[in-house]
Amino acid sequence: MSKTLKGITLKGSAELVAEFFSFGINSILYQRGIYPAETFTRVTQYDMSLHLTTDAKLKSYLTNVISQLKEWLFDCTVQKLVVVITCLETNEVLERWQFDIECEKTAKESSAPREKSIKAIQEEIRSVIRQITATVTFLPLLETACAFDLLIYTDKDLEVPEQWEESGPQLIDQSEEVRLRSFTTSIHKVNSMVAYKRTNSM
Amino acid sequence: MDDMEDTTIFSTLKSFKSLISGPDHSLLETEPAYGRSDLQKLYTKRVELEEAAERVRSHTSLLQLTQEKQQMELSHKRARIELEKEAHSSSRDLQREIDRNRELLLKIRRLEEKEEKANQALNEQMENNKALKRNLEELHKKANEKDRKLTEADQMISELKDETRRLNQKIQIQESKFSTQNLEIQALQEQLDVQRKKYKDVSQRYQNLQSSHSISTESELKMKELERRLALQEQDSVIVRNMKSEMVRLPELEREIKRLREENAFLRETKENNSLLKEETEGLRKKLERVERVMEEKLKAELEKEKLEQELQAWENIGQAAGLNIRKPEDLSREVIQIQQRELNLKQQNYTLNSSIRSVEKARAELLPEIAQMRAKAQEEQKKRENQDSLVRRMQKRVLLLTKERDGMRAILESYDSELATSEYSPQLMFRVKEAEDMLQKVQAHNTEMETQLSKAQEEAGTFKLKVQMVSHIHHHGNFLLKIEELEAERQRLEEQNNILEMRLERHNLQGDYDPVKTKVIHLQMNPTSIAKQQHADEVEQLRLECQLLRDRIRKIEAGGGVTTDDTTLIIPPSQEILDLRKQMESAELKNQRLKEVFQKKIQEFRTACYVLTGYQIDITVENQYRLTSVYAEHMEDSLLFKSTGPVGSGSMQLLETDFSRTLTGLVDLHLFHQKSIPVFLSAVTIELFSRQTVT
Repeated sequence: MSKTLKGITLKGSAELVAEFFSFGINSILYQRGIYPAETFTRVTQYDMSLHLTTDAKLKSYLTNVISQLKEWLFDCTVQKLVVVITCLETNEVLERWQFDIECEKTAKESSAPREKSIKAIQEEIRSVIRQITATVTFLPLLETACAFDLLIYTDKDLEVPEQWEESGPQLIDQSEEVRLRSFTTSIHKVNSMVAYKRTNSM
Repeated sequence: MDDMEDTTIFSTLKSFKSLISGPDHSLLETEPAYGRSDLQKLYTKRVELEEAAERVRSHTSLLQLTQEKQQMELSHKRARIELEKEAHSSSRDLQREIDRNRELLLKIRRLEEKEEKANQALNEQMENNKALKRNLEELHKKANEKDRKLTEADQMISELKDETRRLNQKIQIQESKFSTQNLEIQALQEQLDVQRKKYKDVSQRYQNLQSSHSISTESELKMKELERRLALQEQDSVIVRNMKSEMVRLPELEREIKRLREENAFLRETKENNSLLKEETEGLRKKLERVERVMEEKLKAELEKEKLEQELQAWENIGQAAGLNIRKPEDLSREVIQIQQRELNLKQQNYTLNSSIRSVEKARAELLPEIAQMRAKAQEEQKKRENQDSLVRRMQKRVLLLTKERDGMRAILESYDSELATSEYSPQLMFRVKEAEDMLQKVQAHNTEMETQLSKAQEEAGTFKLKVQMVSHIHHHGNFLLKIEELEAERQRLEEQNNILEMRLERHNLQGDYDPVKTKVIHLQMNPTSIAKQQHADEVEQLRLECQLLRDRIRKIEAGGGVTTDDTTLIIPPSQEILDLRKQMESAELKNQRLKEVFQKKIQEFRTACYVLTGYQIDITVENQYRLTSVYAEHMEDSLLFKSTGPVGSGSMQLLETDFSRTLTGLVDLHLFHQKSIPVFLSAVTIELFSRQTVT
């Protein structure tokens, strides 16, 4: 770990952000009921109790994506990460959790570590995850069986790895958007927002 | 006719030739004799001959023409005839054609009518066709419906058959159950009797219990009453004891009262002392406070004293330090007064100086604009002077010019005067000279006026230029202000546009829009959504295939005519209860069968044993009627009929009349009427029959 007590390096920041995404995506999957609640176990992270999946296939998929994401965070070529929730029967996109990543390109490998305490970063991450849990109160219920997908917005000239392919942005038709909190490691800034399909009953 | 004409032509030709040859001979012979007169004759002959030839020629031509004309006429006639023929023929053709036309038209009309009829017939046929088709379709539909109904009826029949089978089975089960239940009922009734007896006992006991219970309640009531009284008495006793104890305490209390009174008096005295003491203490406290205050003041006074001593020393030192003759404070005050006076004087001087300065400045200020005015005036004066200098120069020039003109005019005048010796024209010249002088003067005046106007105009132009410059400055200024306002308005508009665009951009960003030039969206090929969609599609496909298979099976079953074998209907695995019940049923049926077989065997044995041992075969023909056939019966029909009378199981029998029994009336009277014993009668009958057999 190159997260020294003195400051944050680019590599350390990339690891922090990737870790946040790993727990954040698990929380979203648990809160929205994409996978049954029995398949989740509780772990302690950021001084709070979070849910983590025990499904082997899902775990391997997530580690695959997150490890690739970590590399791209280190290269500062990734712009957004989106969790798209689709209804299986109608193939409509119902929810979109979008995380914008702004990278301080001046902080490359050689420069000195930045001054920001890990406690402060964890505090910010904790407030973001708490807010994600709280959004359940106003998001419309997902009554039908749903599946999720992870989209990554990268620079146009990035070389697409083997198992990846290009896809559409999978936007929601008639959406309501809510902007949530953001956190920054002084090298990477992550803004989070959620867009959901407007329900006619409201 | 032609021949005729030809012959005439030939004849004329011959005559002409003869004529020509004749005179030629004559001419040839008489040539040398005659001179000119022969020639003239020849010439006249030739002329005559030529005239004749011409006549002949014209005659021939006439003849030819007439021939031609006749030919023409002939041909004309022929042609006319032919034409007439042709006309006739064509008219006949025409008529024939017209007739044919009419016939054809008639045919056409008839054909058209036929066609119409045919069309109508066709339409009718078509309609019939359609109607027939519809009928057909309806019939088909009816047939289909009937088929369906048939199939449904078949299904119903099969179902009903199943149901009847099931019902039969149920009936059998029900019958067996019924018999068992009858047995159970009997047992239960016996139990009921027993229970009723018990009930009677129990009711008696209950009555006994109730009586005893009432007695016990009465006794309990009495007990409660007694207890209450006991309690009251105890309370009374307790009260009595308390009273006694209190009575015992009385003298002690009296002693205490006395003591307390004494204490009270003592306390009152002390209270008065207390109040006095308190007053004293208060007075002392106040004194203390005063003393303390005095002490503080003393301290403060001492401090002040020290300060004042110090000040005094400082004041005494001042005198020494300042170098003045000061020993007493009066000297100091004197010095102070002197200094103050000096100060006052100086201040007065200062004020006066300031006022003088201000007046001087005012005068200066007043003088400055005057100076400026004076300068301006001086400038103006200078300008005027310059102008006047220029005017003076012009005037001088003019003067020079005028003097020159004058000289010139004088010279002219002198010349005129010198020339005019006999001045005929002198008054006129003088008049003209005067006119010229007048003209000159006018011109000069005009000139001066023009020059003055010019100078004025130049001055005005100068002033105007200055004004224009001022105005242009202001104008520029005004222009600048307008531009500034316009630019401000544009800036605000652009700012609003910018805000709107930023909001739109933000909205699009929230929704997930991206710039395809700079960004692209990627995801893993094996992602959960695609996997879930595939699984979903696979499930749907599987369900469709299952549906198809089931539909095929159903069709086969329907085609089979409702034959429901266990293989095809029992797709649902039967539950455990049903299997158990079936097994139980099968086992019960097997038991039943076995019991039946055993029962039959036993019955058979028993009957054979009875027959052998008693000598009678006992058959139950009708309910409660028994037919006995003896071993030794002579005929197969010889039988005795007994009927059981009375309740079941009591065993009383009566003999019924049969043919055989009429032959045994003696035995009947003896054994049944007198002895009233059926076994004796039967044994008597066997003995009788046996004896009959052995004898014969």
